[in-house]
Amino acid sequence: MVKIHIDKKPIDVEEGTTVLKAAETAGISIPHLCYHDAFPPEGSCRMCLVEIEGLPKLELACSTQVRDGMKVFTKSEKVVEARKGVLEFLLAEHPLDCPICDKAGDCKLQDYYDEYGLFESQFRESKEKREKKDKIGKSLIHDEERCILCRRCVRFLREITETQELGVFERGIHSRVNIYDLTPVDNNYSGNLAQICPVGAITDEDFRFKTRSWFLKKGESICPLCSRGCSITIEYHPGFSHFGVPSRVYRIQSRENQEVNGFWICDMGRYGYSYLSENRLDKIVINNKEWNIQPTWEDVSYFINQQLKKLDEGKKTSQTVLILNTWLSNEELFLIHKIFKNDQNLERIFFADRPQAEKDDFLLTAERTPNKKGALEMGFDMKPANPGALSDKTDLLLAFGSFLAEQISAADLKKALEKIETKVLFTSHENELNSLFDIVLPTALIPEKGGSLTNIDGKIQKFSPVFEPPGDSLPEWMMLADLGRKFGINSSFYGEFKTPETIAKEIENEVPFFREQK
Amino acid sequence: MIKALGYFIEIIRGIVITSRHFFVNMFFHILKVLGIKTKRKGAVTIQYPEQKKEIAARHRSLHRLMAREDGKPRCVACMLCVTVCPSECIYVEAAEDPDLEMQKYPSKFIIDIGRCCFCGFCVEACPEDAIRMDSGEIDFAGYTRDDLVYDLDKLLR
Repeated sequence: MVKIHIDKKPIDVEEGTTVLKAAETAGISIPHLCYHDAFPPEGSCRMCLVEIEGLPKLELACSTQVRDGMKVFTKSEKVVEARKGVLEFLLAEHPLDCPICDKAGDCKLQDYYDEYGLFESQFRESKEKREKKDKIGKSLIHDEERCILCRRCVRFLREITETQELGVFERGIHSRVNIYDLTPVDNNYSGNLAQICPVGAITDEDFRFKTRSWFLKKGESICPLCSRGCSITIEYHPGFSHFGVPSRVYRIQSRENQEVNGFWICDMGRYGYSYLSENRLDKIVINNKEWNIQPTWEDVSYFINQQLKKLDEGKKTSQTVLILNTWLSNEELFLIHKIFKNDQNLERIFFADRPQAEKDDFLLTAERTPNKKGALEMGFDMKPANPGALSDKTDLLLAFGSFLAEQISAADLKKALEKIETKVLFTSHENELNSLFDIVLPTALIPEKGGSLTNIDGKIQKFSPVFEPPGDSLPEWMMLADLGRKFGINSSFYGEFKTPETIAKEIENEVPFFREQK
Repeated sequence: MIKALGYFIEIIRGIVITSRHFFVNMFFHILKVLGIKTKRKGAVTIQYPEQKKEIAARHRSLHRLMAREDGKPRCVACMLCVTVCPSECIYVEAAEDPDLEMQKYPSKFIIDIGRCCFCGFCVEACPEDAIRMDSGEIDFAGYTRDDLVYDLDKLLR
């Protein structure tokens, strides 16, 4: 530990820390553009200049390590003037096209000009014309005029993906970042480039001109598209209701989580957000002609309860089938285990999930099952659902999710389901599968409910609702806790479960794995 | 009976007020005819809508979108007007312009005049001087709410 003073504030930091990080721990922010926590310091933007007592010139905060007794000044006259000068040089060739720049609002150069610049331009010469719209990758557009040559993108491709598609060409004022020999940036992590670019030089084609970043509301969530469970920020627009424009997710950004995904997410998770708003089911669908009213959850839960009670004890365990999936949270799987396995003694519990798919050797896993580990630890044996599983006599089928259609062909499924008397489906989307069931209940997706998922490495990650589920959709845990209460075997036990947190506490009491992880 | 008397008192008060206005105005008009300058002028009734008063130079009337020389809107769909609008009456959708100098243009630009409070913030916020409220149009009543929703075709001129 060394003792240093930053702006006369004494702080103790580990030896080897940089001045920039030390200042951050003390709550003093030093402006920086090229420095990123994921890479070693580069020192090319010169924004982080600070004054250090005893040294003749200003030093770079991002690459200077602390020494015992160091006295750093981040707001002294010299520093403020130097920052202004650096900004002026950075902006000398930077176009003033913030109105059409997708980075505006998130742009660090914009923020720093507001905070430390606010000067009139002294340049009388016109700015250089460069390539404004250069498609350098799958979904990346490069604007050479906006680039400040911080080389974050080059370093990302060199150090993180190790694919090295970008480089800096030519020298001096002609320096520019570009691809080699027209070979585009084509890896599963290219979307991160648009996110780490401190200015709008690399922007995302997917987000291009869609909206402005300051309209977006942000919420923290977890990506459920593979079993890694990367931390993400979902950015959505609540919609202009009076112009008939509905709420919509505009982009997904990665969120720092050193234990799981570092700073990055893969492109599949970044661009695969359409499922959140497309084809959503928003009201209860009844395909049984005996029902001539539009039922509420109350009616349906009463109906399920009656159906289950109708079957006598011996039949109930063998003639009721439950099909689950791993998009269900730990809390929901726990409730299902409690209600259907412990209370009702059901034996025929199957899982229908997305099939395995391509993986890479960084974050993306082959398993497209966000909570497989959680389901296994909860005590499910995870038998896959197949036509054979449904071939025995079945009176009641409760299925969760639409992944059944991905595992069993439509014809087989139709044949298997025809013989079943009562079929209830809990799903979040409109699907061909839905017409085969008597009752289809709309459910909430991960960003619309609270709970936790256990990722492939056994890390339990909590998530909370970012936005409201559409229409009459309800989170599964709410419906399950209600079913538990209605079945009446242990009503007071399920009555406790008013929030996912209360369920999580009970899981810790009962399941050793979850207790240990805590 | 006493109640009926009350009505008569009010009628008489009304007649007194009307006549006072008539005679005071008459007095100032006569002074004007005689060429005597006074600070106060006699009131004049403008026969609207046949006759219209001139609109002050800085009056905020119906919005218009300015066009470039080639007829395309000046607007680059930066949505600052949408951001600043306190009554949320502007809706803009941007699209990609093949012209690299332009890049972004509004494929939809809707102002719901029924919601607009004519504060003029959109005009002040616009970095391209693309929206102005100087059209001089002040009569834009409609029979339905949709009549008051102005799109790009109606606004651009």
